[in-house]
Amino acid sequence: MASATDSRYGQKESSDQNFDYMFKILIIGNSSVGKTSFLFRYADDSFTPAFVSTVGIDFKVKTIYRNDKRIKLQIWDTAGQERYRTITTAYYRGAMGFILMYDITNEESFNAVQDWSTQIKTYSWDNAQVLLVGNKCDMEDERVVSSERGRQLAEHLGFEFFEASAKDNINVKQTFERLVDIICEKMSESLDTADPAVTGAKQGPQLTDQQAPPHQDCAC
Amino acid sequence: MAADSDPESEVFEITDFTTASEWERFISRVEEVLNEWKLIGETSNKPPEKGEYTSGVWEEKGDEILFADFRFSIRHHYLVQEAGEREETEDTGEDSIPVCMQDLLCTNNDFPPVAHCLVRWYGLREFVVISPAANDAVISESKCNLLLSSVSIALGNTGCQVPLFIQVHQKWRKLYVGECQGPGVRTDFEMVHLRKVPNQYTHLSGLLDIFKSKIGCPLTALPPVNIAIRFTYILQDWQQYFWPQQPPDLDALIGGEIGGLEIGKLPFGACEDPICELHLATTWPCLTEGIIVDNDVYSDLDPLQAPQWSVRVRKADNPQCMLGDFVSEFFRLCRRKESTDELLGKSTFEENGKEVADISQALSKLTEPAPVPIHKLSVTSMVHSARKKIRKHRGADESPLNNDVLNAILFFLFPDAKSLDGSEAKASTSTGNISSQSESEDYNLYSQLKSAPSDSLTYKLALCLCMVNFYHGGVKGVAHLWQEFVLEMRYRWENNFLIPGLANGSPDLKCCLLHQKLQMLNCCLERKKGRDEGKKGSPSSSEAAANRTPSDTLSPGEANKYEVAKSWDSWSDSEDEFFECHSDTEELKEGSQESARKAKEETKENPLPKPEGRLHQSGNLTLLRTGEPLYIPVTQEPAPMTEDLLEEQSEVLAKLGTSAEGAHLRARMQSACLLSDMESFKAANPGCCLEDFVRWYSPRDYIEEEVMDEKGNKIVKGELSPRMKIPNNMWVEAWETAKPIPARRQRRLFDDTKEAEKVLHYLAVQKPADLTRHLLPCVIHAALLKLKEEEAAEDVPSGRKAIKQIISHSSKVLRFPSPDDKKLEDVIGQMLNVEATIARARSLKAKFAVDRCEKSDEKEDLEKFVSSLLEQPEVPIVGAGRGPAGTIIHKMFVSAQRALSLAPLEEEPKRPSSSDERRQTGTDFPSPAGREVILRSSVPRPAPYSKLLPQRMYSVLTKDDFRLAGAFSSDTSFF
Repeated sequence: MASATDSRYGQKESSDQNFDYMFKILIIGNSSVGKTSFLFRYADDSFTPAFVSTVGIDFKVKTIYRNDKRIKLQIWDTAGQERYRTITTAYYRGAMGFILMYDITNEESFNAVQDWSTQIKTYSWDNAQVLLVGNKCDMEDERVVSSERGRQLAEHLGFEFFEASAKDNINVKQTFERLVDIICEKMSESLDTADPAVTGAKQGPQLTDQQAPPHQDCAC
Repeated sequence: MAADSDPESEVFEITDFTTASEWERFISRVEEVLNEWKLIGETSNKPPEKGEYTSGVWEEKGDEILFADFRFSIRHHYLVQEAGEREETEDTGEDSIPVCMQDLLCTNNDFPPVAHCLVRWYGLREFVVISPAANDAVISESKCNLLLSSVSIALGNTGCQVPLFIQVHQKWRKLYVGECQGPGVRTDFEMVHLRKVPNQYTHLSGLLDIFKSKIGCPLTALPPVNIAIRFTYILQDWQQYFWPQQPPDLDALIGGEIGGLEIGKLPFGACEDPICELHLATTWPCLTEGIIVDNDVYSDLDPLQAPQWSVRVRKADNPQCMLGDFVSEFFRLCRRKESTDELLGKSTFEENGKEVADISQALSKLTEPAPVPIHKLSVTSMVHSARKKIRKHRGADESPLNNDVLNAILFFLFPDAKSLDGSEAKASTSTGNISSQSESEDYNLYSQLKSAPSDSLTYKLALCLCMVNFYHGGVKGVAHLWQEFVLEMRYRWENNFLIPGLANGSPDLKCCLLHQKLQMLNCCLERKKGRDEGKKGSPSSSEAAANRTPSDTLSPGEANKYEVAKSWDSWSDSEDEFFECHSDTEELKEGSQESARKAKEETKENPLPKPEGRLHQSGNLTLLRTGEPLYIPVTQEPAPMTEDLLEEQSEVLAKLGTSAEGAHLRARMQSACLLSDMESFKAANPGCCLEDFVRWYSPRDYIEEEVMDEKGNKIVKGELSPRMKIPNNMWVEAWETAKPIPARRQRRLFDDTKEAEKVLHYLAVQKPADLTRHLLPCVIHAALLKLKEEEAAEDVPSGRKAIKQIISHSSKVLRFPSPDDKKLEDVIGQMLNVEATIARARSLKAKFAVDRCEKSDEKEDLEKFVSSLLEQPEVPIVGAGRGPAGTIIHKMFVSAQRALSLAPLEEEPKRPSSSDERRQTGTDFPSPAGREVILRSSVPRPAPYSKLLPQRMYSVLTKDDFRLAGAFSSDTSFF
């Protein structure tokens, strides 16, 4: 996965695959802030009050049209539990965009945002784009994190900010589309300044060929 | 071409005859282009400022036009000026002449350092040139005249006041003729270009004669002629000047130094002088006729007395630079197809055969249940025997690397081996030093370039391979060193020696894959050691707890300590397929509990078996059912991953698709870790339930509420979250299947033996070309650091800027798994340029003896002068021949002249013509390599009552080239 996306920023894979670009996006945030619901709302337009807590990492795919280009989004949903950090952070490096989510009804999940953002800085690719999302904004009665605080934190971290609700389908589509736009902007920027991304896409066979050593014959 | 040859003209129709012939079409096309570029009318620009031709921006526009089927390119060159408003000629007075004619007389921009030749010759700020598009040439006189007539007509028709030139004859001769038209005035641009110089034109008086005769001034009292002269002298002989770069001594091998180069260092500098010539231009900017004498017998023009001096240096085109060579030589290895075995030849084939046997033996050792008898060996003897074993297969004479070099390199790479050899193991090795490295920008460069930290083994290996490739046997040496390296890796794996120079923890995905692989091997080693130690229950196992820290923090250096004897004792146990977790604090407390372990396997009837594998208590939490304190268990660490493994795994996950079944399968595949944690938890907390586990593992899935009981007391009631209550969900399912087994007796989540073998195999099959690709980022990284260091020593601003650009460029190139060769070459080329720039700065500083200058202010001036020599095309010398820099240059010429006169006259002096010899002003300077003279005057032409118009003639005389470029204006009002 890593090379299938991160190596080709603006990947122009074979046309038979029915897309012009593929972006890999990761949704991260504390446990039970609604990452899986958010993803299901976007990818399947469905909502279930309770999804089984994600084990490890899962993904969904959605293809959208942006500026006359078909963009395939491979969206990876991660387990939020502390114990899964090591497993999930390994996937950060291949992601071009992050949705960092907290639950507006849960202070702790908001306090952890700073931490998650540090994780992104440590493990991701420098150009990765991040959106901060405060989920469950339908539960206004139980709100403990004001949108102002969310906005300030986002500004402080240099991310764009949305409040959203997977349940009432508020700002879900907008969040993803905005993230895609930011990635596209960044992409054209880096294509303008220098174009390694374009030719980098033509991945030479040398390294990858050897990267998969014949495991069968090593007697284990 | 002529109109009457056109069949159309025979037809009896109303035809626009003006565009009937090819010629007319050509003219109208020229007019069209001039109109398109809005060159019609008059500009009212100020005369150019002093030096504006150099400081300003020149632009050009181009188009193509046809004359029949002959292709011409038409180009407009112009200086960008602010108020470049072009107005239609209406309000202008009659006496105004086109700005370009005024430029002919302007003295502000004589001898511009970089400019189009027409600018230099005629002082124009704007002009249009028509030249043959292909490599054709307009040679015949009639064709030239035809073109010139076309130009004349086009200018007349359009009222364009920009001079229009035609390039004639072969392109290299740069021969142009042209014309400029204004209201009632016209300037003809003419040119003479000769190989042989007629004797009378080698001096000023002869040139004045020809200028005057060309003007044919009708007045008896000729207006004064303004004269500007520049002589250029070339200094080529730098012999007396110490060239600071010493060529590397290829044979020397002293101590840690090999080939004059210390291991782990990069060479730097140019092998030849990167400055090949110094051009001194001595200028007399403003003379009038009669002030000086310059004829074929005598000259007043002494360069030392010239009021203006300026210097430029000619840089060697592609100076051979050592760092650049070093890196590009290494890069060239990418194209070698041979494998290590093929390169090392037959004798090593046999050896390799044995090696394979060794590997399979090693594997059988690992898989066979029976313990293999191995003697207890001392560290030292093992190191020695291993070395001997490696050596004896190959005679010293046939191996590409000789033993001394190889040993020096191996000790450089594995400094711990040295201390082991001396049989007193030092506690701290290079692993420990890593943490002390500053978090500086330079240090973090590796994450931008995807190389490896500059103190890591991988980085050092890259440098050594690079050096071996350059100085010791090329690709064969590389293959040899690599083979030794792989052997060393296997040796360390088999003998439980940690690999030095690698950060602890799981592979750093920001580094190159090879570095990750080595880190992976170290992870395997650590686990294996930890397991061995855990078995022994050795007190030192507590130190392995440091391994739980995230990969970016580092364990203390002592983690690297060799505890060989112990490992050897327990080595034979490694076939045990159960995992022994390293850090059992609980075990330390409780000591032996082997008996309890046995009793607990069949626990069903035993209500509360003895807890096992506890790490520590979790706050004040107690188990819901029993009220016992809740313990966090010792758990298995998830498997470390290199980027290729990760990629493989995520591909497998992705292949399952997005359906519900796919998602379920994915979760199941990843549930091993969850199950293992649950088992550990159950073992540590007898009598626990899923709620207890969830409170530790995923606290938000346990929802507590305060409720009133019947008596009105507040009590806290908790339950699982709805999602945990979904029937048959993954968590419940796993909880039900989990047996209470402590981590150290569970099946290993990470099979270190298997992974280590995979890594070792991977290393063994790498060809030199693959290695180069793996390590090129490290080499580029090292080269960039070297450039930075050298630049800092010399302080070259342009170099500093370029290095920044290279870093950002190369980080873009190296980000992708297999960067384009072309781009890598670009990066290397850019580095070479910076190296050459720095070498030039160094050379110039040595030549101008900046370091030996005593007065601080003079030194500062000299430094400024030297750095501007590098960055500007031409640098004026303050104080001309009398200033500090001028004095030094004078001395250089004097000693070069002296050397020339002392040297036996095998070669004739450059210009042996008699007139030159005579005209030499003393022996301080050679005869000028170029003489340029500009003559200017305002003279009425053709009649005494005509307008006063600018006349100009430029002449340049070099060794075998003589050119006169004249611009003569005349009044056309009554003629």
